[in-house]
Amino acid sequence: MRQIQSQFSHLEPGHGKGWFLTCIIRPARHLVLAALGLWFYFILCDSRAEDVHTESRTPFLHNIPLHDTQGRVITPPPILGEDGKPQEPKANPYSTALTCGKCHDYDAISQGWHFNADAGTAKPGRPGEPWILTDPATHTQIPISYRGWAGTFKPSDIGMTDFQFVTNFARHFPGGGAGEPGKIKSSDPEMGRMLITGTLEMDCLICHQTMGRYDHEARYNALKAQDFRWAPSVAAGLGLFASFRNAGSIADSWHPGRPVPSALPAINYNRARFDPGNNVLFQVSRRAPVNNCYYCHTTETELGDARWHSDLDVHIKAGLLCVDCHRNGLDHAIVRGYEGESKDRTITDTAIDLRTHLVRRDNAAINEDDARKLARRQLDSEGGMIETLTCRGCHMDGRLGSPRLVHKGMPPIHFEKLSCTACHSGPLPASEPQVVHTSMAHQLGLPAPERGRNMAPVIVEPIFLRGEDGKIAPYKMVWPSYWARLNGTNLAPMLPAEVAKTATLPQPSSDDVARDPYNTKPLTDGQIEQALKSFAAGSSNGEPVFIAAGKLYRIENGALSARENPAGKPYAWALAHDVRPASQALGARGCADCHASDSPMYFSTVSARGPVEAKDDLTREMWEMRGDNRSTASFFAFTFYFRPMLKCIVFAAAFVVLCVLMHYGLRGVGSMTARASATKKEKS
Amino acid sequence: MNRATGKFCYAVLCVAGFFLAATGIGTFALGKPPMTHWVLMAHVAVAPFFALGLAAVALTWSDLCRGGVESPLIGPAKALFWVILLAGLVVTLSGVVPMTPLFGTKGEHFLYLTHRYSAIVLTVAILFHLPMLARRRVNP
Repeated sequence: MRQIQSQFSHLEPGHGKGWFLTCIIRPARHLVLAALGLWFYFILCDSRAEDVHTESRTPFLHNIPLHDTQGRVITPPPILGEDGKPQEPKANPYSTALTCGKCHDYDAISQGWHFNADAGTAKPGRPGEPWILTDPATHTQIPISYRGWAGTFKPSDIGMTDFQFVTNFARHFPGGGAGEPGKIKSSDPEMGRMLITGTLEMDCLICHQTMGRYDHEARYNALKAQDFRWAPSVAAGLGLFASFRNAGSIADSWHPGRPVPSALPAINYNRARFDPGNNVLFQVSRRAPVNNCYYCHTTETELGDARWHSDLDVHIKAGLLCVDCHRNGLDHAIVRGYEGESKDRTITDTAIDLRTHLVRRDNAAINEDDARKLARRQLDSEGGMIETLTCRGCHMDGRLGSPRLVHKGMPPIHFEKLSCTACHSGPLPASEPQVVHTSMAHQLGLPAPERGRNMAPVIVEPIFLRGEDGKIAPYKMVWPSYWARLNGTNLAPMLPAEVAKTATLPQPSSDDVARDPYNTKPLTDGQIEQALKSFAAGSSNGEPVFIAAGKLYRIENGALSARENPAGKPYAWALAHDVRPASQALGARGCADCHASDSPMYFSTVSARGPVEAKDDLTREMWEMRGDNRSTASFFAFTFYFRPMLKCIVFAAAFVVLCVLMHYGLRGVGSMTARASATKKEKS
Repeated sequence: MNRATGKFCYAVLCVAGFFLAATGIGTFALGKPPMTHWVLMAHVAVAPFFALGLAAVALTWSDLCRGGVESPLIGPAKALFWVILLAGLVVTLSGVVPMTPLFGTKGEHFLYLTHRYSAIVLTVAILFHLPMLARRRVNP
């Protein structure tokens, strides 16, 4: 830049060129400088992926250099310094955005289903598993989702910031989205901390590593300490966090708006991971292994030591991967796999951009507008392909070697009234739905004291409900539980921190904590009353209430009342796995699997679950949960006692009719042939 | 067989048949097929009476309806009788066979359609047959 300035220095105003200098040269100089600046910017800071692809089914050997968040190649210092003294291999943590993003379009990937919830760019689609803000001490369990599924709260609805969301849920959140805000305001006391802690970049290795060396616990510990920038390096086993002071505590001592400390901790790299060319080997695959999915998507139906009873999904047993059906392209818009999903897919501008690029590559003559229109049409039509990856789509076509649908003896009406999952997925229904644990809700995959069946949040399955398509499907269900303030009809949940400050909740003794680390002892009416009264004394922001097990608890006329309330309505989301083999599907043992007077599909009882004593709890039968008619269901089941008799009568009657028809039919044929032969004789 | 038995059997066939037509074809024509709930249960409950009536009619009326035999029935009535028997057989079998594990989804669907359209044929045949009987005052 100095050279450029010196080149133009003879044209400075002092050199006597007057208006020419002011009007032409100076603006031109600025233009040149700006152009050069832009050029340098794009060379140094461009994070767009390079346009290089192998496009082979053989995974590319990812022996690649690491880049830090500034785009610089990470080179651990040599073992011995210039002074001959040993040096620690300290360097900046690696950035997935600038390491993986070197070849894979990070921006396009960030549009994917796992990362786009907070952006609001994707349609929410069928309600899925929410995050559940759980705090055993305050008996809080609030379903949360950025997607706005009915029955969940958006984080902002309950006063939870994006930063708090990340600190609560990053343990099972692959990064990006709320963890990677587009712009960080240094004046923001929470998000500003990310100038120190770093953003939570999408960690590609969580899903794509195949080496089995990804350390989720190390990542969790790093995230707990708010070492966001360092977490991917630590979790990948590239090195250790090289400071006694974590990023969270550095951020604690930093004041918003002030300069960010320049000396932030480094990663103490494992030299053995670097080859002589300074490359690091990542064993990764586009097709994410099953165990990687399981870290976030395990549903354990057999709890504790009984896990060994658990059968895996029949597809996994058959050797398929989750991603064989739950596929995605570069945009990571993963196929969720439910029928009708194609209507819920959002074609983002990024997807159109990517496709437009391909269209123009293959057809150089097409102009930009036409290419975009064509790209849009192509993406629209690909929606149909998504439907072939549903249960029905795959098994109708025999795709991936799937057995074709047979369903012998099953009247077709079942396929109009039931989803495939109703008969094939989840645990076999019993007289009551069973408690299950999920990774996202119960932090499976992370070491903790054994989680019992009462550990919050209590999630039960299968609940047979009717979906938006009118079909009965199995669901998981959780009942929200939280303290809130009621202003008119507006119910504002309180975050656990606020509750802990003000409420007089029973404190478990140290013995209890050792025996019951998840504080599963239910609250008594007296304890709830005491807590509500303590809230009421402290604030005028609204009437304090407690929502639990489907009821709203409040103080009325000085005494506790508990009534069923829409605010306590459970949140349910469809389950699809584990899929049982066909021989264990409902109906495989006959119609009575569902059409019996005690069949779980209709008559199993569902009790509202929550951190309160099970007294006068809300209990519903399955038919009631979905608004069916009990008498219809039970009478229909009753008719099945007569089904064998019906078959016998109708078959017998049909046999008689058949005999009569054959008898007279044959007689008719006989008389016709006799008549024909008589006519022949007469003629002869 | 006496005349009363024949008439009774035909009456059972007609009453049950029209009830089944009302519930089955009625749902198909006016409601939202397929039948469900109470309508389906009523339909299935009456079906055995229809099947028994059909068998009884087959036994009591068939001799009268033979071709080339002196009978109070006119030719078209005889022909329709055999159409009723044949369609009735198809209707009953296509109604009950789906309750057995013999056919898969495609077969079940085919049987369902067969049941529907043979039932329409049967109903139309009975509707044409009845006035013919009334005009001729048939005593089987």
